[in-house]
Amino acid sequence: MIFGFGLFFCAFRSCLGDNRGVSGRTAAGVQRVLAGRSGFEAAGVSLMKQRMSERGGCGDLQPGSGSVLTRRHLIRSLGAGAGSIGLATALSDSGESGVQHFAPRARRVIHLFMNGGPYQGDFFDPKPMLRKYAGQRPPEADLRTERKTAGLLPSPFRFRPGGSSGVPVSSLLPLTGRLMDEICVLRSTWTDNPNHGPALLLMNNGTILPTRPSMGSWLSWGLGSENRNLPSYVVLCPGKPVRFSILWTSAFLPGSHQGTYINHSVPTPEKLIPFLRNATAGRELQSAQVDLISRLNRHQLQRTGPDGQLEGRLQAMETAFRMQFTATDAFDLQQETKATRELYGDGHFAAGCLLARRLSERGVRFIQVYYGDGQPWDTHSDHNRQAENLARSIDRPIAALLQDLRQRGLLDETLILWGGEFGRTPTSENGSGRDHNHYGFTTWLAGGGVRGGMAYGETDDFGFRAVQDRVHVHDLHATMLHLLGLDHERLTYRYAGRDFRLTDVSGRVLTEVVGS
Amino acid sequence: MIACVLPGGGEQLMRVAFLGLIFGLYQPLAVGDEPLRFGRDVLPILSANCFSCHGPDESQRKAGLRLDLEAESKGRHGGGIPIVAGNPAGSTLVQRITSTDPDIQMPPPDSHRVLTEVQKGVLQRWIAEGAAWGRHWSFESPVVAAGVPGGSAGIDRLVESRLSARGLQLRGVADRYTLMRRLSLDLIGLPPTVAEAESFATSKDPRAVEQLVDSLLSREEFGEHWARMWMDLARYADTKGYEKDLGRTMWPWRDWLVRSLNQDVSLDVMTEQLLAGDLLADAGDEERLATAFHRNTMSNDEGGTDDEEFRSIAVKDRVDTTLQVWMGLTAGCAKCHSHKYDPISMTDYYGLYAIFNQTEDADRYDDAPTLELLSDEQRRKRSELQARQADLRVRFEESRTADAVGDDHGWSVLSLSGGKSQGGAQLKAQADGSILVSGVRPVEDVYTLTLELPAGVVTALRLEALSGAGASVPGVGRNGADPNFVLSELEAELVTGGQVQRLQLVRPRADFEQSNWPVSAALDGDLKTGWAISPRQREPHAAIFELAQPVPLSAAAELRLVMRQHYGNSLTFRQFRWSVHGGEAAGLQPLRLSEKTRGLQAELGAVSEDLATVGAGVSKVPVLAALSADRQRETRLHRRGNFLDPGDAVQPSLPAELRFGFELGDPPTRLDVARWLMSRGNPLTSRVWSNRIWSRLFGQGLVETEEDFGALGSLPSNPELLDFLAVEYRQNGWSLKRLLKVIVLSRVYAQDSGVTEQLQREDPGNVLLSRGGRFRPGAEVLRDQMLAVSGRLSLKRGGPPVMPPQPDGLWRSTYNGQKWVNAEGEDRYRRGLYTYLKRTTPHPMGTTFDGGSGEVCQIRRIRTNTPLQALVTLNDPTSLECAGGLAEWMSGESENRVERGLRRALIRPVGQDEVAALERLLSDVRVMFEGSPEQAVALLAGARVQCPATISQAEFASLVVVASTILNLDEFLSRR
Repeated sequence: MIFGFGLFFCAFRSCLGDNRGVSGRTAAGVQRVLAGRSGFEAAGVSLMKQRMSERGGCGDLQPGSGSVLTRRHLIRSLGAGAGSIGLATALSDSGESGVQHFAPRARRVIHLFMNGGPYQGDFFDPKPMLRKYAGQRPPEADLRTERKTAGLLPSPFRFRPGGSSGVPVSSLLPLTGRLMDEICVLRSTWTDNPNHGPALLLMNNGTILPTRPSMGSWLSWGLGSENRNLPSYVVLCPGKPVRFSILWTSAFLPGSHQGTYINHSVPTPEKLIPFLRNATAGRELQSAQVDLISRLNRHQLQRTGPDGQLEGRLQAMETAFRMQFTATDAFDLQQETKATRELYGDGHFAAGCLLARRLSERGVRFIQVYYGDGQPWDTHSDHNRQAENLARSIDRPIAALLQDLRQRGLLDETLILWGGEFGRTPTSENGSGRDHNHYGFTTWLAGGGVRGGMAYGETDDFGFRAVQDRVHVHDLHATMLHLLGLDHERLTYRYAGRDFRLTDVSGRVLTEVVGS
Repeated sequence: MIACVLPGGGEQLMRVAFLGLIFGLYQPLAVGDEPLRFGRDVLPILSANCFSCHGPDESQRKAGLRLDLEAESKGRHGGGIPIVAGNPAGSTLVQRITSTDPDIQMPPPDSHRVLTEVQKGVLQRWIAEGAAWGRHWSFESPVVAAGVPGGSAGIDRLVESRLSARGLQLRGVADRYTLMRRLSLDLIGLPPTVAEAESFATSKDPRAVEQLVDSLLSREEFGEHWARMWMDLARYADTKGYEKDLGRTMWPWRDWLVRSLNQDVSLDVMTEQLLAGDLLADAGDEERLATAFHRNTMSNDEGGTDDEEFRSIAVKDRVDTTLQVWMGLTAGCAKCHSHKYDPISMTDYYGLYAIFNQTEDADRYDDAPTLELLSDEQRRKRSELQARQADLRVRFEESRTADAVGDDHGWSVLSLSGGKSQGGAQLKAQADGSILVSGVRPVEDVYTLTLELPAGVVTALRLEALSGAGASVPGVGRNGADPNFVLSELEAELVTGGQVQRLQLVRPRADFEQSNWPVSAALDGDLKTGWAISPRQREPHAAIFELAQPVPLSAAAELRLVMRQHYGNSLTFRQFRWSVHGGEAAGLQPLRLSEKTRGLQAELGAVSEDLATVGAGVSKVPVLAALSADRQRETRLHRRGNFLDPGDAVQPSLPAELRFGFELGDPPTRLDVARWLMSRGNPLTSRVWSNRIWSRLFGQGLVETEEDFGALGSLPSNPELLDFLAVEYRQNGWSLKRLLKVIVLSRVYAQDSGVTEQLQREDPGNVLLSRGGRFRPGAEVLRDQMLAVSGRLSLKRGGPPVMPPQPDGLWRSTYNGQKWVNAEGEDRYRRGLYTYLKRTTPHPMGTTFDGGSGEVCQIRRIRTNTPLQALVTLNDPTSLECAGGLAEWMSGESENRVERGLRRALIRPVGQDEVAALERLLSDVRVMFEGSPEQAVALLAGARVQCPATISQAEFASLVVVASTILNLDEFLSRR
């Protein structure tokens, strides 16, 4: 008798192997990821031993794919690794070969997204001239934004040199400030539009049109998954950001590359993921069941012709099955030591950062931590007080994340991106507020092959407009892809007769910020 | 680099592809050499590149030039004319866009906007072709080209013409089983039975499809299915939202919706009822109930919030939702500034707001005004009881007054020589010796009174609280909404010359005491307790306080009384009278009522109770009610959207550039808005609605951005077809059922949904409609289908929402005892639209499958695919119980159980290979269960089934596993 993992393996082969070409890189990936793992794999092996059988048949729907199972095969089928189901296939379909355009510096991305738009002048872009011209509106500062603004409003927060590099950082971020040697500040970021909707879309999807894949989906598709037991793209938000799921859509890319949105308001596994565990059916039962579902689904797919959505759902089903046994672990913050939890501190953003680290360890490609429900950084009034509170809630978690990743040897291969969809005006709105500013704002990168301890680009004297070494959002995306070993001009997807790119028809890699 | 590889030759295709690139569209725009069209080809370029400085937003306008208006664009401006029809070279617009001089060039270099050569070419060619003006495509009236046949054939023709331009043709018709399941899921949200499918599949009647469609459209399940779409649009929920998120009775409106859809009430009539049912000439309960549509707005019960703030947010939500649902326009940004892309200025926005701003509701805790849903019988009984109550009340008061006169023996009324209210109210002595309180109404108060005492001995004091028989609203307290009083503490002192002597009061008694608020509490020294008289706030009351020691009085003595009233909410005395008695105090009663009065009192009590019973349990649904003419609110712009920062006054109006020839009545009302939306000249409503219906049948709209038909939305993939449907819908009298019938009887709808390599290449997203739609239906359909196949589905209709199982501990109700109690019995298995929707914690089945929270209008559910969904279908207790139900059904079959179970779910003849795979699962699992019977027991308990006697427990448990497998098949979870 066999149904459990034996059949399961066959299903797996049929979905990833044989006809779609697992690349050479995959085996290495398996080895790497497997090293140091034991939990799920060990359980899988023991179950498998118990269920190892004489009969290797894969069922009536898989003629010719039966094979003699070896322990190693099974480990491979159950365990992490074996990614590269995206680009490898796509490129082979389009006649090219290869899975990475060049050696990657980073393997994954954590995007700390300050939705609503933080004011650059409070954090990383000191502008002493603001004090001199406080209340005035010199011609340089006479830029139109979404709403009317008045004179210049200096930031009340002081700056000091951070780390040994001495990159200036605000007193609002005392803990993160100590780690400036890890951080590459992009002071000259700019975007196209001063309204939230389009700016959110440009930052996340590379276009203001609501019908294109998100950057996480591009990455997931381009690089494949490192851990088939978890989604390759996870979106954490304690609530719903404006525009919601369109910001992590896979659009025309295969459905499995869509972000898996998890509301982490209450960060315990069972609350994060409804119905994570089946109350009554045991794991063996479900493995038998899911295996057969997969086979029948593929059978269906063959009959009705290609369907990206269906393929996405097939993979989602398989991932879901495995998640039951891994997600409780991946999402369980109680497994962290008290010291680690204290390092990150309290609050939803701290929980998000800590979850992000756990997910990066487990090979999730792209993790977004949205700061909050709605757009908490959108400080149109009472800006200073709000900025202080917001800064306090991110400082400790960000510093902890950087240190923690570094300590675990993961920082070099994990690219951190921090920022909002745009910045805010140095001029005041309604006395105490700041309006949206798409002309110039700060984002920063850390880890993942980035040169830390530097500030790149400049805004004008008042920090309104990026003037030197300007970094458009497309450039940011191009650089991110580059660090992950992907050429943004070659990462294309043919859809409806046209090749699409994350960076559309622009994008420049900021070679200056790539570490040696 | 333009990553654009073109599939075929020719300059035409090249141009098309480039435009596609620019606009993010994948279909050809202008076909062949036909002249460029303003709305489709030119306007998007101007809109994206020019309008932010030369468009509708007056605050950002540069050089006073508007390029969104024809007259201005073609008139003299500065030294030239921007657009000279037929003369590109003479047009300053062309000179500016082609200039390389940074001071002249448009768009200016610092705008970061760059026109491509193709875009410049389009503008020049259009000017050369005569610069025919027009509006944004969706603001032009829909037209159907001559020669297009009516009905379903018209749909086929318009799709075929697009397909043939690509060398494609309509795909064949889907097989009968698939078609039947498709029609059934699409029209009623439930699958057919195997028997129905068989009879349809084998029917030789050429009219079989039409008959099937007619019969589905006449089913009551039709209304339930389509109501769900409406509920998304209406931001329906069973709670109020915000922090406290307390419950609210909205379900009668949901039932109204189901009724209306089943009766196929036309969209124009429905629109009037939804927006302004209360204003219709013959408005009855049904019409008033309809207006609950716009009472689905959230309300905030959190302490300390400004009701006006949340009222104004609700009114804005009504404006936004109205424009979104009917006209596909996002107006939200015009709350703070004029819309940058569509012609909705801030004044336009607040002009509409001014019309919606005239309703009674004001973010009140009780959601007033509400509509009580009484039956005719209840209504008759209520008015009869009310009449009796009024009559009794008058007679009781008369009798009481007569009693009081007789009871006054031995009491001397004290006259006021000085009175002060701590809160600043006026205390005035009346002719009858009573003291009337008027003027400011503080929430708490302390009355300090100095009263002249007659000579003699005082043994007792009497306080009478008068109910103000002459007042329009009787009541003993000053708060008209709750005319109770709370006497927290009473102090009495005797002032003789300069001497003050504290009087000790004992043995207090009152004619009536509210429970837990006895009159003795007015003497206990505790300001948190006191004497109160609810629920009899509208009757007079009296209390007697004895003096511990009778006090002999000299002539100069005065009584000083301090009446402390600290409850808050202005529960303070309105009119009262003090008297003293000099005789034996022990026998004195606060009020001595005659037999007659007591009788009347008893009768009055009984009638009041009956009245309460008539209303008990009757649902009160929040509805719209117009403010009377003398209470109309003035509307001002909210600067930056802030209600505390009012700008200029605004008159009620329709958006100036979107009136489409419609004139408001005088005074303008919500009814005018409804008529404007449905007016013949309004080109948006018919397009938006037919696109919405189309999308529900094909998985995506002809305009993909169903929520945005404005300048930033997508262009229609087949504009001719969209217009055809729009015209069809209006001409059929806005009948949803007729529109659906025309669409589903088309060959386009009936196409096989299978994909070939050619189709995958030529039309990967099925934008050209080269095949049938294939998509996963919404959360409710998935649930209902699973329940239907399992045999557990309850078709009980309407009524309060129900609570099917959800994970424990999801609801965190800090503020009240509301709990999610998993329903038992048939309420556990009702259709998805009846599931309780709590805005802050919607059921995870809904949200995981893209349903909303009901907080704001949800125009479409954007389909996602995530592992979390598979966890629901695998692990949700409802899924398992459905598997149990299906297994039970299978176990009742004498043979071919697995085959029949599979067939029952998939509604098609099944293949032997599929059955064999499931049979093998069955036998493998059975072996396992035989080895560990406890697992079988646990599974059967979870699935809520009992093993029938005819079958072994292991076999039965294995059937449950097989059933669960079937219910998780993608084919089952898809509509294809």
